[in-house]
Amino acid sequence: MPPREGTYGLLAEFDTPSDLVRAAQKARLDGWRRLDCYTPYPVEEAAEAIGFHRNKVPLVTLIGGLMGLVAMFSLETWVSTLAYPLNIAGRPTYSWPAFIIPAYEWTILWAGLSAAFGMLALNGLPSPYHPLFNAPNFRAGALDDKFFLCLEALDPKFDLLDTRAYLETLAPVSVVEVEY
Amino acid sequence: MAHESHTKTLPADLSAPPVVNTWRTRALIVGVVFSVIAAGLAFADGSIDHVLRAWLLGLVLTFGFAVGGLALLMVQYVTGGKWGLLLRRPLEAMSRTLPLVFVYWIPIAVFQGKLYMWANHGIVDQALKLGQITQDQVEAIDHAIKWKAPMLNPTSFVVVSVICFAIWGFYTWRLNSLALKRDADSPDNTPFWIKKFENLSGFGILVYSLTMTAVVIYWVMSLDVTWYSSVYGLLFLVGQGYQVLAFAILISIALSQYEPFKTVLRQTEQHDLGKFTFAFVMLNIYLGFAQFLIIWSGNLPEEIPWYLDRIRGHWGIIITLDFIFHWLIPFSLLLSRDIKRNKKRLTRICQWMIFAKAFDLFWLIEPNFKDAARNLHFSWGILEYIAVPVALTAFWFAFFTTRLQTRGLVAINDPHVVEILEPEHAHA
Repeated sequence: MPPREGTYGLLAEFDTPSDLVRAAQKARLDGWRRLDCYTPYPVEEAAEAIGFHRNKVPLVTLIGGLMGLVAMFSLETWVSTLAYPLNIAGRPTYSWPAFIIPAYEWTILWAGLSAAFGMLALNGLPSPYHPLFNAPNFRAGALDDKFFLCLEALDPKFDLLDTRAYLETLAPVSVVEVEY
Repeated sequence: MAHESHTKTLPADLSAPPVVNTWRTRALIVGVVFSVIAAGLAFADGSIDHVLRAWLLGLVLTFGFAVGGLALLMVQYVTGGKWGLLLRRPLEAMSRTLPLVFVYWIPIAVFQGKLYMWANHGIVDQALKLGQITQDQVEAIDHAIKWKAPMLNPTSFVVVSVICFAIWGFYTWRLNSLALKRDADSPDNTPFWIKKFENLSGFGILVYSLTMTAVVIYWVMSLDVTWYSSVYGLLFLVGQGYQVLAFAILISIALSQYEPFKTVLRQTEQHDLGKFTFAFVMLNIYLGFAQFLIIWSGNLPEEIPWYLDRIRGHWGIIITLDFIFHWLIPFSLLLSRDIKRNKKRLTRICQWMIFAKAFDLFWLIEPNFKDAARNLHFSWGILEYIAVPVALTAFWFAFFTTRLQTRGLVAINDPHVVEILEPEHAHA
């Protein structure tokens, strides 16, 4: 039976992280690609189980940090050598040791801000609406003590009846259909 | 699907794997080979001056492993954490190498007159005669020697060092013997033991930082009598954290090919240790650069020559390489999460970091001597800086392996044991 229009996916609920990780590993092995895990705290093995190995936050952070470093070091060099060259204790105007600390601070600042905002942007946050919250057991358990695996309707293998039967073989506590 | 099915159990035999014997044999061969090379170099150079200088480097390096290991052992008792349980026995074994470090120290105490100007004024006279220093410098040196004589004299050098060794010996003995008693005791008494180790270690860390500062001032900083830096002890303290963590990771990963470390070393703790090491890499450059920045800003005639001795006359090459080796390379690589979680690559970085530590000590030690200050030049003697520290460290490692074999590799009477055997996804 093909999914009705308006079905987001099928949500299986588990009691322990181990059960979720095993189920997710199996689903991935069986060819599912549009799937996601939802846990009350970070479970790294669950992320690995669904083939999610890396994200772009480190890259965004690195680029942000380097931008901060270059921006501040250039600013200091420009101010000290070109804009306002001052004789300070007879030192050369380009006294790089003195530039390091503000440049370092800006590296940290930009890296930190890039990490925070880059993470939010890549997460798709802020997100005022997500269909999973239509499932009552998800609302009650996802932030508390339940572990969820969702097979999404966008997956070409998705079929309302077959997929439900498939999820039942993974021994979940329950399987519910999630609507948009 | 029962949760327990993922939990591992500790192997019945917790003793060090037989491969440790192979490591010892290899270390002894390296030690002997490099001793012979060191002797040959001393013969070619026609003097033992550089043997002693390089010996001092080897002493400071192995002292860092032994006493730094003791310090990290105390830190993990105070902070707790699964990384601490993992490293506890290796750190104990490192701390129990103290007798060998004491033996290494004896030649330095005996030959003080060949290293320290305050112990033998002939060194100053000789440098003046050879034109390595000016009459003005001699006056500054004599003033400093006279002013610092109550602290810097051969008797107090020996007395202070021996007292510090005795204090570290006491803490080593206490922590090591209590650890065995704790393992033999019933798990019901664990809260008592945790408190006991916390109280012992908390004060011990304070005592360590004071005694360690005292001996690095005597052993290394006083090579240049005119110079002083108030961050010197802290620099060495952080440096010891740097080398001890690198070594502890190396040994844990090497042991993890065999039981019992195969069971207890999880990727989570390896990653944590990588992050911890990264923090020390950062702190190390932070303090090193802060000292430079303050002295550079002040530009005082009492302080700045210490840096000029280490920058001019081709030493600029060494300090640039030191910056790259000691900070840039480990920092850039340890940024990566993948590298911290990869056993082979993390091993390479840790090996590199120990080399970089020795390289940094070379830059700290050699320019103190007036023939080398602002004048980096080749002599057969300078190669002793490779031969002697390698030999001393190899013999130290061989001794460390015997210490490692004297008890099981995993402390069992600890609540973290259950956690470290759990699958990694069970805890965030």
